[in-house]
Amino acid sequence: MQPATGLSYEQGPPLGLPLEFFRSAAYFLLLAAVAGMLTSLGSDALASRWSPAALAITHLLTLGFLGLIMLGALLQMLPVLLGVAVLLRPVWIRTARYSLSAGTLLLALGLYFVHTTLLASGATLLGFSLLVILAAFTRALFSNQALTLLTRTYQKAWLSLLITFSLGLTLAGGLAGLWTISDPIALTHLHLSWGLAGWTLLLIIGSAYQVIPMLQLTPPYPTRVSQYLTWILFIGLIIGTLGATRIASLVIAMAALGFALSTLWIQGRRRRKVNDETMKFWRLGMVSLAICALLIPIANQLSDPAQTSLGILFLLGFASSVVIGMLFKILPFLAWFHLRTQTGVSASQIPNMKQFVPDALQRRHFWLHLLGVVLLVPTPFLPTPFAIFAWGLLTVTAVWLLRRISEVRQSFLTHGGTL
Amino acid sequence: MISNDKTITVDARNLEPPEPMDRALAAAGLLRDGQHVRMLLHREPFPLYSILATMGLSYRTQLTPEGDFVILFAHAPEDLPT
Repeated sequence: MQPATGLSYEQGPPLGLPLEFFRSAAYFLLLAAVAGMLTSLGSDALASRWSPAALAITHLLTLGFLGLIMLGALLQMLPVLLGVAVLLRPVWIRTARYSLSAGTLLLALGLYFVHTTLLASGATLLGFSLLVILAAFTRALFSNQALTLLTRTYQKAWLSLLITFSLGLTLAGGLAGLWTISDPIALTHLHLSWGLAGWTLLLIIGSAYQVIPMLQLTPPYPTRVSQYLTWILFIGLIIGTLGATRIASLVIAMAALGFALSTLWIQGRRRRKVNDETMKFWRLGMVSLAICALLIPIANQLSDPAQTSLGILFLLGFASSVVIGMLFKILPFLAWFHLRTQTGVSASQIPNMKQFVPDALQRRHFWLHLLGVVLLVPTPFLPTPFAIFAWGLLTVTAVWLLRRISEVRQSFLTHGGTL
Repeated sequence: MISNDKTITVDARNLEPPEPMDRALAAAGLLRDGQHVRMLLHREPFPLYSILATMGLSYRTQLTPEGDFVILFAHAPEDLPT
C-alpha cells in the first residue's frame, strides 16, 4: 500500500490560498478597529450610521473582514463539506483577493472623503472581483448533481451576495455621479438587508447545519428548522424587495430568532461534553443574533445611535463571533489535514488540532472579544474616551487574530508542510 | 477499532474531527488482502474518498435507514462485501 502523498488541486486548494484570505481579513479587522479609534479621537462621528466614517468602517468590516474570511473558508470547505471543488487556478483566486482588498480600501476611502474617483475605482475593482468569484463558485454550487440541503442553502446565500453586490455597485455609481438614483435610502436598506440577512446569515446558517453537529458533537438541527428556515428567510427578503418592508422585517426576525434559539438548544444537548472553546464564540453569536432579531421589527422607530448599536451588535456580536469561532476550528483542521495528507506520516508525528491554536489562547481571545463587543455596542451613546478604549480593545483582538494565523502557518511549515 | 479475519470495524460516529479521519487512516494501514474496513459516521466524509483513492484503495458508501453513513474500503473491489 502506498502512503497518502497529498491532495490534488481539484480536491482542495493548497493551504496557502485560504491562509492568505484569512490574513488579509484579519488586517481589515485591524484597519477597521484603528479607523474606529482614530475617528473617535476627533469627533462623535460614529454615533450616526450614516456618517462617512461609519459607512467606511462598516465596509471594512463587511467586505474586508467578514467577506474575505467567508470566501477563504468556502474555498477550502466546499470540497470538505460538499465534495465539490472551486475549479479556478490559484492565480485567478489571488487576483480576486487583491482586487477585492484594493476595491474595499478604495471604496472605504471614497465613502470617508466622499470622493467620486475613489468611489468609482473602488466599485470597478469590486465589480471585477465579483465576476471572478462568481465564476469560481457558480460552477461549484450550481453544477453539483446532489442537491443537498447545504447546496440549496449556499445557492440562496450566493444569490443574496450577487444582489447585495449589484445594489452596492449601483449605490456607489450613484454616489460617484455616474448615474442618478431616485430613492437612495430605500436602495441602501435593500443593500444591507440582502448583505446581512441574506449573504451573511444564510451562509452562516448553511454552514452551521453541517459544522455544529460535526464539530461540537450535537444532535442535528430539528428537521423542520433545517428544511424550512432558510426558505422563510429568503422569502422574507423577497417580500421586502417587493415593498412590504414591515411584513418582511417580521418574517426575517422570526427566522433569525428561530435559528439562534435552535442552535442554543442543540448545543445544550451535545452527545459528548468535551471542552470546546469555540462554542463560546457561537453562543455569544447566537445571543447577539437573538437580541438583534427582537429589535429588527422596531428598527425603523429606533433613534440613529440605537440603530448604530444594533449594527455593531450584528456585525461584531453575531457575525464576527461566529466567524472567529469557526476560524479557530477550520484553521487547525486544515493545517492538520494538509500535513497528514502531504507528509504521509502517522498522526503522532504531527501536532494535533489543539496544539495549532491552544485552548488557553482561544479562551483569552474569547474574553477579550466579548469585552470588546460589550463595550462597543453602547459607544454611540457614550462619551468619546469610552469609544476610544472600546475600539482599542478591538485593535488588540485583531492583532491577536493575526498572531494566531501566523503561528498556525509557522507550525505547519516547521512540520514539513508545503503551502 | 474491532477487528476479525474479514472486517475491521471503526465506529467514528461520536468522535470530534479529526479523530474519524485519523482512525480511518490507521485502519487503512492495518488492512491486509482479503480484509475490508467498515466505518460508521454521521456524515459523508468527502475528503476521505480522495485520500483512499490516492492510496489505491477501493471504497463504497451506504446510507443506513437511521441516517448514518457506512464507508467500506479495501485493497481490491472484490474484498468489499456485497
